[in-house]
Amino acid sequence: MINSSEFLDSLEEKGFSFATGVPCSYFSRLINEFERFESISYIPATREDEAIGIASGVAFGGARALVIMQNSGFATIGDALTSLAQLYKLPMLLIISWRGLEPDRDFPEHSLMGEVTEKALMAYRVPYWELKTEDWQETIESAFTKMNETSQPVVLLVKQGVF
Amino acid sequence: MYGYEIIQELASFLSGDEIIVSSNGNISRQVYHYLPRPQIYLRGSMGLPVAVGLGVALARPEKQILSIVGDGNLLMGLGSLSTTSFVRPLNLKILIIDNNSYATTGNQMTTSGSLDYPSLLDGFGIPGIVPILLDDSVEQVAEKIHIWLNSSGLCVLPALVDAKSPALANIPLHPEEIAALQRK
Repeated sequence: MINSSEFLDSLEEKGFSFATGVPCSYFSRLINEFERFESISYIPATREDEAIGIASGVAFGGARALVIMQNSGFATIGDALTSLAQLYKLPMLLIISWRGLEPDRDFPEHSLMGEVTEKALMAYRVPYWELKTEDWQETIESAFTKMNETSQPVVLLVKQGVF
Repeated sequence: MYGYEIIQELASFLSGDEIIVSSNGNISRQVYHYLPRPQIYLRGSMGLPVAVGLGVALARPEKQILSIVGDGNLLMGLGSLSTTSFVRPLNLKILIIDNNSYATTGNQMTTSGSLDYPSLLDGFGIPGIVPILLDDSVEQVAEKIHIWLNSSGLCVLPALVDAKSPALANIPLHPEEIAALQRK
């Protein structure tokens, strides 16, 4: 399991000062951590596309935001990505739970999206990495480097139990 | 009054130091043609201009941010009024230009005719100015814009207008340039 406090410390060091998104139970510890973590300000969004809009505004203003959501929410942000964040080259880090895999066998609402999550990311041409407990620092480094080189949104996919 | 006339009227009230986030379609074109440049001209992302304005306001607390939305755009992202009310940025002002139609796509009607803006804003807990009405004089419009821009903190000015849009050339800037110009 990744220590949420260490994870946010690492993102703060990378220059992230804002976070927004819509919760997933996979991220309950991480989102709770924002209450104690004052250097990254968390704004609860009403929808995932709104969160991309907020993060885009933050990027227009020269700061950096991370965006938290379920993969069900990824299914709602196609236009926010393609006609805003990707079109205007606005860097941001999306942290997306990978619902619909084996641990979610009793949650059929996630099944199809779980199966097509990687295909959907590829279709939208969003670079992504699976965030794993054992090498999360290296993964963040790779994603952050890509985000800066391309000035584009990048995604970290997170399975159950990582946070 | 027409929506584009409100945007033209806005010109004489701006210091030039504000950052405007304009909505996809006619409003971005009008802001590009009638107001100081550069601004953040959105071309897509219908429903998100208030959210983008909120993000810019957070990242640039030293700047006054003006988000200009039409009624169709506002309704698509209505939840952003709740988010904005909750965050309550001191440097964000929102102008709603309501012509009761999706004017950019050919004046198809929206459902905004049933809205009562003072009650709506009150319900969201957002301070608002008395709406600009269809038969307001130029002086009354100017007065409301003046009060709105000089209000302290988050404030919304709704404007009920007639739908007519001048034919304006497309914005010649690529979106990447629009973003880059904000970093200078």
